[in-house]
Amino acid sequence: MVELRGVSYAVGGMPILRDVSLAFEPGRFNVVLGPNGAGKSTLLKLATGLLRPSSGSVAYGGVDVADFTTLELARRRAVLSQHVELAFALSVRDVVAMGRFPHFARAPTAHDRDVVQHALEMVGMAPLHARAYPTLSGGERQKVQMARVLAQIWPEDGGDGTEAGGGRCLFLDEPTTSLDVHFQIHILDLARGLLGRGCTVVAVLHDLNVAFQYGDRFFVLEDGRLAHVAAGADDVPRELIERVFRVRAHRVRDPEDGGSFWRFAL
Amino acid sequence: MLRRLSDRQAFALLGVLLAVAMLASAGIGAFSFTPAEMARYAAQGLGWTPAADADALGRNVFLSLRLPRVLVSGLTGAVLGVSGTLMQGLFRNPIVEPGLAGTSAGAALGAAMVFVLGGATLSFAAPLGAVAVPLLAFAGGFAATMLVYRVSSSLGKVNVYTLLLAGIAVNAVCGAGTGILSYVARDPQARNITFWNLGTFTTADWPAAGLIALSFTACFAWSLRSARALDALMLGEDEAAYLGVDTRALVRRVIVANTVMVSAATAMVGVIAFVGLVVPHALRMLRSSNHAFLVPASALLGALLMEVVDVLARVAVPPAELPVGIITALAGAPVFLWILVRRQRLAGAGLDG
Repeated sequence: MVELRGVSYAVGGMPILRDVSLAFEPGRFNVVLGPNGAGKSTLLKLATGLLRPSSGSVAYGGVDVADFTTLELARRRAVLSQHVELAFALSVRDVVAMGRFPHFARAPTAHDRDVVQHALEMVGMAPLHARAYPTLSGGERQKVQMARVLAQIWPEDGGDGTEAGGGRCLFLDEPTTSLDVHFQIHILDLARGLLGRGCTVVAVLHDLNVAFQYGDRFFVLEDGRLAHVAAGADDVPRELIERVFRVRAHRVRDPEDGGSFWRFAL
Repeated sequence: MLRRLSDRQAFALLGVLLAVAMLASAGIGAFSFTPAEMARYAAQGLGWTPAADADALGRNVFLSLRLPRVLVSGLTGAVLGVSGTLMQGLFRNPIVEPGLAGTSAGAALGAAMVFVLGGATLSFAAPLGAVAVPLLAFAGGFAATMLVYRVSSSLGKVNVYTLLLAGIAVNAVCGAGTGILSYVARDPQARNITFWNLGTFTTADWPAAGLIALSFTACFAWSLRSARALDALMLGEDEAAYLGVDTRALVRRVIVANTVMVSAATAMVGVIAFVGLVVPHALRMLRSSNHAFLVPASALLGALLMEVVDVLARVAVPPAELPVGIITALAGAPVFLWILVRRQRLAGAGLDG
């Protein structure tokens, strides 16, 4: 559980977030929605503890984020960013192994190596484990980064100060932007796979149809304020989408499976 | 070739090559020594065997000139190699080295101030005595590096164009400062500055070897312990922080460690460019960019390269000596250009690194 209580954030007197209170619950796919500039990325940086709020507080399992060391925090939550460029060529396995950095003191243990191997298999990159990261396609790189963050908050861990399974959080910051549909679905399926193991998943997503397909809690940001919280895709009002994103929207029913998707126009 | 070896085997290979190069460097020069002579002089110098009068000249040349010189050149190479690795890791770019980022020029200016102005003008430096040169070199090197880093990084990202341009500006200002000093200097001092601006091991002595060894050992030990954090930094400052690295402290420490050893070396032997650039780059291409490998390997390869360059400097134009900085620039600048061309081609093909 990650809680934000009355969180505000300002840079040089410019308010970016204003009095946001919310809770990201474990076992749920929490989605943060909002137009460009609404403060989504800032919200994520505050929730991950990278930034400290100007006022208000962020707590993990009831403990203020300021009471954790950066290392303790790193064992509890991982962040998948949009593009991670590597300054130098490392092998795929070396990149994934970085996910274990917060867990071992001097040298990786057999358990660390096992986790890296399993994470590679989970994302389907085990056959390419020796490839140089910069030679991969954008989608493959993102899979490798996903394996890295999975290895960082591996649910079956224990004995390193955190309880196995519980309390871990995965944050995804526009993780599928510029990926083709195969990679989008793959990354988000992997994130959803963590929910059954007690993890909290928080994602900033731009594609509303993808968001409604995966999310089960929606937090809509508008001009730095929390405009709406919805418990399901059907609870996000059309008027809200039209106002916040400045589009006309209508829902299309899929006659085959009874699901629905959104179409947008100006 | 290095790719197939384990880290330890790679270190052993580089270590053996370095030992051979040091032996050759100790034996070759205006005075040549056979390994047997070297062993005899060393034994006499250590007091294991009684000092023979017939050996006095050779022994003196070997023990008080050649041996410290071999150590100073090797250590300087190690300093520049590790420094290049640290700087490239910090700036997340393979074309950075202490010469480009202003560290060497800043240190040179600081040291030149002590040379020329001496205790008379710089009254605060007088009580510092022999420590004044390395101390002011450190102050100059630190200020220059910090300035370049601050100017070129914003929001946790380093803009490499800004970095290079800021480096040019800082290098120009420091160069101008050193220029003014050599203009007002009396003749022997000016000659010192000129020679020293090109890098030279002719003045190497035991205290110089001791100072560089001390600063290198401390910074090297710290760099080794930070290998994992430096690896994480390859992903960017935010990602490294998500992995539990205190990036602000890391950045500060990298700059301090780097400046400590580069300033100490620069204060003793002058400005030697391109070694810090070429050594890590070669190792990245031959094997990997893991810092647990890169830090020790760049120390070994840097030392190896510098021994070779120093031998060349001694035998190229006898009886005179070339400043080593001239050789490293002549050999290093084309490599630098080649790296740029290669990167551009890779970028054109959609690959980076």
